[in-house]
Amino acid sequence: MKDDAIVFKGTKEGLYVLLKEEMDFPNIVEQLEKKLKPSKSFFEGAKIVNFKGKSLSPGEYNELVAILQNQYGMQFIGDYETLDNSIFLEKEEEKNQSKLEPIINQRFGDEGKALFIKGTIRSGQMIKSNGSIVVLGDVNPGAYMEAAGSIIVMGNMRGTGHAGTQGDYNTYIAAFRLEPMQLRIGDIITRPPDGKQYSSKVPEMAVVRRGMIIVEPYLEKR
Amino acid sequence: MGEVIVITSGKGGVGKTTTTANIGTGLALEGKSVVLLDADIGLRNLDVVMGLENRIVYDLVDVIDGICRMKQALIKDKRYQNLYLMPAAQTKDKNAVTPEQMLKLTKELAEEFDFVIVDCPAGIEQGFKNAIAGANRSIVVTTPEVSAVRDADRIIGLLESNGLKNPQLVINRVKIDMVRRGDMMNIDDMVDILAIDLLGVIPDDEYIVVSTNRGEPAISDSKSLAGQAYRNIVKRIMGENVPFMSLDSEEGFMAKLAKAFGFRRI
Repeated sequence: MKDDAIVFKGTKEGLYVLLKEEMDFPNIVEQLEKKLKPSKSFFEGAKIVNFKGKSLSPGEYNELVAILQNQYGMQFIGDYETLDNSIFLEKEEEKNQSKLEPIINQRFGDEGKALFIKGTIRSGQMIKSNGSIVVLGDVNPGAYMEAAGSIIVMGNMRGTGHAGTQGDYNTYIAAFRLEPMQLRIGDIITRPPDGKQYSSKVPEMAVVRRGMIIVEPYLEKR
Repeated sequence: MGEVIVITSGKGGVGKTTTTANIGTGLALEGKSVVLLDADIGLRNLDVVMGLENRIVYDLVDVIDGICRMKQALIKDKRYQNLYLMPAAQTKDKNAVTPEQMLKLTKELAEEFDFVIVDCPAGIEQGFKNAIAGANRSIVVTTPEVSAVRDADRIIGLLESNGLKNPQLVINRVKIDMVRRGDMMNIDDMVDILAIDLLGVIPDDEYIVVSTNRGEPAISDSKSLAGQAYRNIVKRIMGENVPFMSLDSEEGFMAKLAKAFGFRRI
């Protein structure tokens, strides 16, 4: 495949120019010009990290660098010492992935299904989920939500929410404004105190502590 | 065996739920044991008017479906010892129960309580049939409007054909100054058309809106005009002979008002 003789590959640091090992040097120069000419303005000022995939002599290396810098106005960051023969960038990608995965497992807990609902949940409506429920909107008095997982309301939560219907006390009910009719987590039921209307200006979540449902802000220091 | 009283109207928005809440509370204030039964499945309001909405865990449909025991669904009122509420389900509809099941439920409740007050939904369909199934006494609520009276007439016919003889009439939201000017339907004319016993006349009272929103029935407030009228109705339900408030003359009204204030000192 002639078209794929030279490939520009983007990474976080900048572009790599991937060359094929089997190509000879004059062919490389020809292909490079052919590739860059039609899109000169596009590549102008582009940051090239280095070449990849083919071992080059220092002379060849400098010639290619000169072409990229002088004819096409690209920036060249790398040098001959860091030239890497391998075609693939996977070393780095692998590194990045192996770094990310344990973080996901450690810090971000609840994986699983979630039911996403956009809009207002009104009186008499019953939302049930075997996973969690996320509402982008309000939940009105008289509305019910039952989730085996947690419930998150990105709006006013004024209805009845039941999290952890299968008995998971680690679930929670969170809302931008948590003014519920009634909250249930597992088999624990609670309701706001009678009398004065309580209203918080910060987002809150209801969790189980020592067998009781308590409501607390989930953004500390605000 | 207690009495099962259904409060109905046909037309919506005339004050069935408010009347249920006030009569129930009034009977409880008189020392009777009372349960309020909300038959308006899917559009329940009685719990809101009573201020007990956030205590609901089980409801009428759960009891009928056998999900819980009857006692578990009964909510004890927060102010009065012997007053209970059986809430309706909100996520179901009227077809969730049958008249036979309601008859059985009201019978069970009547064994435990002196009074079972059933708040009937508007309309004449399944919900109405459910609500009247177990009743042995009925109260028809209407307002001094031609449309409400027309519906009340229809309901009285249906009640009588379902074996509920002698329904009693409550005329709600009577505007005293309009009656005085002669701009409002005459109460005597209404009683004439409907041809049933008049149980009481409730004057229009802004306080009702306040008390409804607060979840505190007006009957417990001695300053409320409507509350006074409901107290009289409760006495009549218990068989006392209480004269009607006079609404047609200014002196009468003032005298009544003075009496209402006098009531507060007791």
